[in-house]
Amino acid sequence: MSDKTDTGKNRVVIPIGPQHPSLKEPGCFIITLEGEKVVDAVVGIGYNHRGLEKTCESRTYIQDLYIIERVCGICSHTHSTAYCQGIEELAGIKIPPRAAYIRVIVAELERLHSHLLWLGVAAHEIGFDTMFMYTWRDREKVLDILAEVCGNRVNYGINTIGGVRRDLDDYMLDSIQKTADVLEDQIKYYLDLAQNEPTLEARLSGIGKLSKEDAIKFGAVGPVARAAGIPDDIRVIEPYAAYGEIPVNPVTDTHADVFGRTIVRIKEMLESINIIRFCIKNLPAGEIAVKAPRRIPAGEVISRTEAPRGENIHYIRSNGTDKPDRVRVRAPSEANWHGMNHMLKGQYLADVPITIAAIDPCYSCTDRAIVLASENGTNVTGWQELRQYSIEWYKKRGIDVASVKIPDKKIIMNM
Amino acid sequence: MTEQAIVDRLCEEFDFLRDRVYVQRPKRIMTQFLDRKEFKQVVNFIHDVLGFYKASHVVGTDEGPDLGFIYIFSNSDGIILALKQKAPKSDPRIDTLTDMYPSLLLHERELVDLFGAQVQGLPDGPRYPLPDGWPEGNYPMRKDWKPEYFDKKTMTYNPPGTGKEGDEK
Repeated sequence: MSDKTDTGKNRVVIPIGPQHPSLKEPGCFIITLEGEKVVDAVVGIGYNHRGLEKTCESRTYIQDLYIIERVCGICSHTHSTAYCQGIEELAGIKIPPRAAYIRVIVAELERLHSHLLWLGVAAHEIGFDTMFMYTWRDREKVLDILAEVCGNRVNYGINTIGGVRRDLDDYMLDSIQKTADVLEDQIKYYLDLAQNEPTLEARLSGIGKLSKEDAIKFGAVGPVARAAGIPDDIRVIEPYAAYGEIPVNPVTDTHADVFGRTIVRIKEMLESINIIRFCIKNLPAGEIAVKAPRRIPAGEVISRTEAPRGENIHYIRSNGTDKPDRVRVRAPSEANWHGMNHMLKGQYLADVPITIAAIDPCYSCTDRAIVLASENGTNVTGWQELRQYSIEWYKKRGIDVASVKIPDKKIIMNM
Repeated sequence: MTEQAIVDRLCEEFDFLRDRVYVQRPKRIMTQFLDRKEFKQVVNFIHDVLGFYKASHVVGTDEGPDLGFIYIFSNSDGIILALKQKAPKSDPRIDTLTDMYPSLLLHERELVDLFGAQVQGLPDGPRYPLPDGWPEGNYPMRKDWKPEYFDKKTMTYNPPGTGKEGDEK
């Protein structure tokens, strides 16, 4: 629809969504344009409201753990950590040091896969699909490790009230270490690319501006705030799990735009690798969980974690029974939406998808299944077979993937 | 400022806060429920004087005859102040804080949809988070609202005694 304003300029209103070009989750954006420029934007969300908080009130604490884990498909560990440590605080439980370290290792693996996913999405939004494929290929390495450690690619189910459910053996630690080594090289390459590739900087600089003052005003969190020079990181402000014993250096930047958010996320991945290496080296021996009571004493708690997307806050109120009285989850994306209108105003329409994507909206990739046993006759296709199948499939159609030459040998080696 | 210093300053400024604000643990300051007038005074003070520049969210609660609203503020030291206010369900009016804290917009909209709060001065905009066509007067986060009585097909709430119970398929 279009109409003429008092200033005589033609304005066009474009409703984008609920199914829209950047998110794989529903959201509606009513964009008002003057020519190609966005003059107003109304953000409509809530299409994914599933009533999880209400559900939590009618189930026991341990049942709720599985619900809370499913708040987000990407950063499920951060939610279960915030929930578990909240309940542990209410019950007066101290988790064993080994469990705290394992929580940190999984949290940083989660941050790695979340940021790699984002980097791919961002690259795709700006038409840099080569980078999208590289980063998602690397993300698979992290997901494979998470599957090995936790049994699941996402919704890891590692946390329980009182500790963690699975221990890490030497073989797993070795796998994590090797993957971290490979990823470090790749991530350094992405950092080099982001900092020195002129087209990337030209495409992302000045897009989705949110100054330090505005980031504070709109309550931005995580990489969005840190890219505006705000060094807030819950791992440092209020160290939880084992973060109190681990050196964590929050990454900040001063670009305050999508380019800055890209740099921050890439550098944060290198920081995550350092943290993982520290945890592996200093992993304490001992138990991985303590017994937690079924009934939790009455009280209230505010529990915080640093999710890949920023500060994650859980409020839990107990009433002395085995079910919580109130559970409230404030996920980081919920905080970052408030600055979206401001970020979109003054942008070109073509920049809307990457601006929205730059706050790192979530989507769940739970479709892929790993089947570990085939005794019942199920036809199982493993990763290597699937890869071989795809190579053969293309060969039959005259495309020999194996003969494609990529100039950077380092990347081929890491494939 | 330490947590205790903030509590002392609050008590010094507002007599009604004595014994109603306390340090729960490091980085956590909690208050008891305040009324609308008291709450507004304290919010202005923590925003203008004590440097609680960040409002993370509002937790709505069902307090029997009242609705509870727990506002989570924090300062540059990462200290959280949970400031609470109450309003009766019969007159659930509260004032918006979006003029001071724009980051509370979605959370206040949520209080309207899920708890039936009347947030005075809340800017116009799309509802959040319930869908268009949600039956009026149904506030699902109140304790007396039971999901089993809600018919998703007809979008109607049919509690026992209305003659329509058991409609949900």
